[in-house]
Amino acid sequence: MYRNQRVILYILILISGASWIALSAEKTGSAPSRDIPAPQASFAAPDFTLKTPTGETYTLSELRGQAVLVNLWATWCPPCRAEMPTLEKMYEEYKDQGFVLLAVNMTYQDDPFAVVPFTQEYSLTFPILLEETGDVAAAYQLRSLPSSFFIDRDGIINEVVIGGPMSEALLRTRIEEILK
Amino acid sequence: MLLIFAAAWIGLTLAEKRAERNGISKENINNIIFNGLITFVIGGRISFILQNIPAFIKNPFGVVSINPDMFDPLGAVTAAIIVVLVYGQRRRLLFWYTLDALTPFFAILTIGIGLSHLAAGTAFGKETKLVWGINLWNATRHPTQIYETLASFLTFGLLWFKRHDTRSGILFLTFAALTAGSQLFIQAFRGDNTLILNGLRQEQVIAFAALAFIFILFEYRLKEKP
Repeated sequence: MYRNQRVILYILILISGASWIALSAEKTGSAPSRDIPAPQASFAAPDFTLKTPTGETYTLSELRGQAVLVNLWATWCPPCRAEMPTLEKMYEEYKDQGFVLLAVNMTYQDDPFAVVPFTQEYSLTFPILLEETGDVAAAYQLRSLPSSFFIDRDGIINEVVIGGPMSEALLRTRIEEILK
Repeated sequence: MLLIFAAAWIGLTLAEKRAERNGISKENINNIIFNGLITFVIGGRISFILQNIPAFIKNPFGVVSINPDMFDPLGAVTAAIIVVLVYGQRRRLLFWYTLDALTPFFAILTIGIGLSHLAAGTAFGKETKLVWGINLWNATRHPTQIYETLASFLTFGLLWFKRHDTRSGILFLTFAALTAGSQLFIQAFRGDNTLILNGLRQEQVIAFAALAFIFILFEYRLKEKP
């Protein structure tokens, strides 16, 4: 192919590419996934209402405006146990800046009588929620424990961390990101 | 991650087979890829640390934490490119011949990345009513992970059976042009793009700029006598 023919081909390809970019532009001007609840970064966090062992009720959507970490855990899960002291430390450090930590115990696959002694053993002060039906686990497509969902002030999942224990540095960077 | 490592291994094997044709020894190909991968892993962590220094000052042991989430992909790629360039220069490897020798590795790696997106449900498509839509993240979506995997397979097939061009760099630039072109097309169906300038997809704009640059490089390389 001669040079002139190649240049014409390049120009035709680039014009087609530019047209395709213009044609496929998002008319709404916002990321298309933000309205749909799904357990994935850039989606709205699936809503839930759960109770603590003392009967207090928490609804995720009512915490809009605050940065939320939803941590799914169980008492029998070693990495869940290992990251609890760090979670407590981070909660104490950031709660006054609008950070909320919801530790959702997978009660439907855990010993319900072990939860309260566990929280006392680790001196946990953040809300412990009891997931007794498996609905929240299904909504969050739980694959592994622990699973952590970092949710920004608009209720959008910013980051998902599957597995643990999370290091303090990782927690710090993620919490500061959702507090922005 | 496993799929990407598997792809890297297959890519390395194929790159070794083709290396001699490009005047590069198998040993050099092995060393380039090994050094690149090691630097990719370490560089990604170091870049993440540098971007979050205050968090690591408060928790210095976090530097060696096994959390794979403490990783910056852009920093990882940049570090790997720098180390590979330095290695190539010290071993006096010819730049374009080396890129040609590495092209099978890159081509297989892009297939692995597409498959890993499919396995993890990332790089997902926007909603569609088309019959081949897949149910993912609570909606029927374009199977963009399958589109990108098929495009990568097609690119690999075209390169594998392409007539050997004696001018160095042409094989790599063909791969780069096909990849940028397919990304420019497929990104239109993605549901997780970063939008700029009244709704333009940033990834498409980058692919377009890359394509234009690749065309310039094509002309530069084609001046070389076969």
